Amino acid sequence: MNLLRRLEQLELVVVTGKGGVGKSVVTAALGRMLATRGRKVLLFEVDPRENLHQLLGTEPSGGEIIKASPGLFLQHIEPRELIDDLVREKLKINMLVNRVLASPVHRHFTEGAPGLKESAVFGRALRMVEGHGPATLRRPDVVILDAPATGHGVSWLAAPQLVADVVRSGPIGHMAELISTFLADQERCGVVLVTTAEEMPVEETTELISSLRGRLDRHPEAVIANALYPAVDDGDPGDDPAERLWRDRRTINVTQLERLDAVWAGPLAEIPLLPIDPGPALVGAVARQIEAQLRSA
Amino acid sequence: MKTPLTIVVGSGGVGKTTLAAAMAADEAGRGRDTLVMTFDPSLRLKDALGVDADPESNDIQVPYDADGELWASLLDARRTFDTLIDRYAPNDAARERILTNRFYDHLSGSLAGVLEYMASERLFEVAAYGKYDRVILDTPPTRQALDFLGAPERIVAFLESGALRIALKPWFDADGSFKATAKLGILGRNVESFFDRMVGMELLRDMAEFFQAFAPLYDGFVERALEVQEMLRSPETLFTLVSGPGEQRVADTLFFARKLTEAGHHLGPVVVNRVHPEVADAPEVSNLSDGRGLLAWLGRKDHEGVAQLRELLGGSHPLLVVPLRPDEPTDLASLAELGAMLREQLAQ
Repeated sequence: MNLLRRLEQLELVVVTGKGGVGKSVVTAALGRMLATRGRKVLLFEVDPRENLHQLLGTEPSGGEIIKASPGLFLQHIEPRELIDDLVREKLKINMLVNRVLASPVHRHFTEGAPGLKESAVFGRALRMVEGHGPATLRRPDVVILDAPATGHGVSWLAAPQLVADVVRSGPIGHMAELISTFLADQERCGVVLVTTAEEMPVEETTELISSLRGRLDRHPEAVIANALYPAVDDGDPGDDPAERLWRDRRTINVTQLERLDAVWAGPLAEIPLLPIDPGPALVGAVARQIEAQLRSA
Repeated sequence: MKTPLTIVVGSGGVGKTTLAAAMAADEAGRGRDTLVMTFDPSLRLKDALGVDADPESNDIQVPYDADGELWASLLDARRTFDTLIDRYAPNDAARERILTNRFYDHLSGSLAGVLEYMASERLFEVAAYGKYDRVILDTPPTRQALDFLGAPERIVAFLESGALRIALKPWFDADGSFKATAKLGILGRNVESFFDRMVGMELLRDMAEFFQAFAPLYDGFVERALEVQEMLRSPETLFTLVSGPGEQRVADTLFFARKLTEAGHHLGPVVVNRVHPEVADAPEVSNLSDGRGLLAWLGRKDHEGVAQLRELLGGSHPLLVVPLRPDEPTDLASLAELGAMLREQLAQ
């Protein structure tokens, strides 16, 4: 099936990659691209240093759903608060809620329990696409998650299963089971990897591809190689230092793209380094690049 | 505390690991026995430092023809945690109980702050040992680069909180079935019955067992965490803050600098890494395949970012600028050269 059509069918897209590769720009660009193609898109940001709003030219989300452009919404998510919401919902009685929320046991449990916060974020995504959103956005067609650059994107995706394994009963166990079934459903959820064509990011992408395959039996929808220096011709670079630096950096890009090619035969978008300041104009330009490249992928 | 420490901090992907190795190679080259502790080196850097050779050993001497010795260690949370348990567990049975606990298996790999805490734990050990003249620590890629520094505090807060006391209650009798917990009082009963409903008894039993197995370790932990905390604020511990180039990073960098200082740490230089050089007589970018024009644009933008940062730092911390190189330095000679460049800029 055509890749763009496939991306249009997904209900959750998880964007992951090493820190500093331009993950947020790609997340925003994917959102812009799908919104332009008629989908109602909600971007989830979990990094405490919010920056998606700047890229899309809106006010900071402050936890609320913000409309950035037609069909494109964003929300900053604090996983802790999602868990507190869950406590409120399940306990109902105010006095008990306050006691539990104030208790150090609760704080340390939610802070330390492996996989709980990640599961809460995916759980919120699931609720949204199933139509339980607030009046601002009752039901997005797709949620795109700008996953944190932990260096271990797989641990995010594996988290709900981990919780389901450890917690086998009660509402949390039940929810974790629902969420991991949702994540495992390749018709509904997809992963997009972002990298630059440099040694460490490609290394991490390679590891990510193989652990996605090994641990989750899944492969990414696409790999986006971001911020590439332009191709060079065969001519003599001469003594111009800028010309030489360009060629040297491009050589690294080419070498690293070859390394990537050896482990990844699927769709790859090569996005050039663009002389545009971070903001809506850059997001629009990257969105057009991704769309054009994935159409031919 | 005897050994001067340098702690290299900054967001993911800015080149902390390479700069830490560069500073270490330079120090060793100048006759100081130096240890660099690193988390996530590239394959080529691993080769250069030889840290992959013997995963069982902690510090490895790097073959390096210099006046000082160069040592490197690769930090691994699970291994450090295991070592710690080996050291503190009162007997083999207790040790075995911790290591085989299902909860430990999940926890040691993913508990927030464990990697960071273990790093400072190791750091303290090394500093107290007094074997090195200099210790340079690369910090792990965390969601928030400052998580690392809060780790000892969080551990202490946890150990001293009611959470631990409740966890250590004998909740289960010898058969593993749940005991009445009348003595916990109303708070304990509410919290506990809530957890029972939310997560089920099996997990609670695992957790209780885990915390009880760890009980003999806690005293040492608190004491150690407090010492680490003090060490991280000592004037002999100097932080180097690394940033990527570009105006969009300036706010982030200032935020880190302020947080470090507010938390009582001593921030030394701020390093802007991989700055595109300025291009003389550069034309406007004509099209996307014009690499020279693109480099000129990047050079201008990166230098605007540096100028802005310099102004906002206002001379409170030295600002060092590392130009983007044709390739990352991955052999000892070019690492030492980069380290020397940083030192010379700092001296000016």
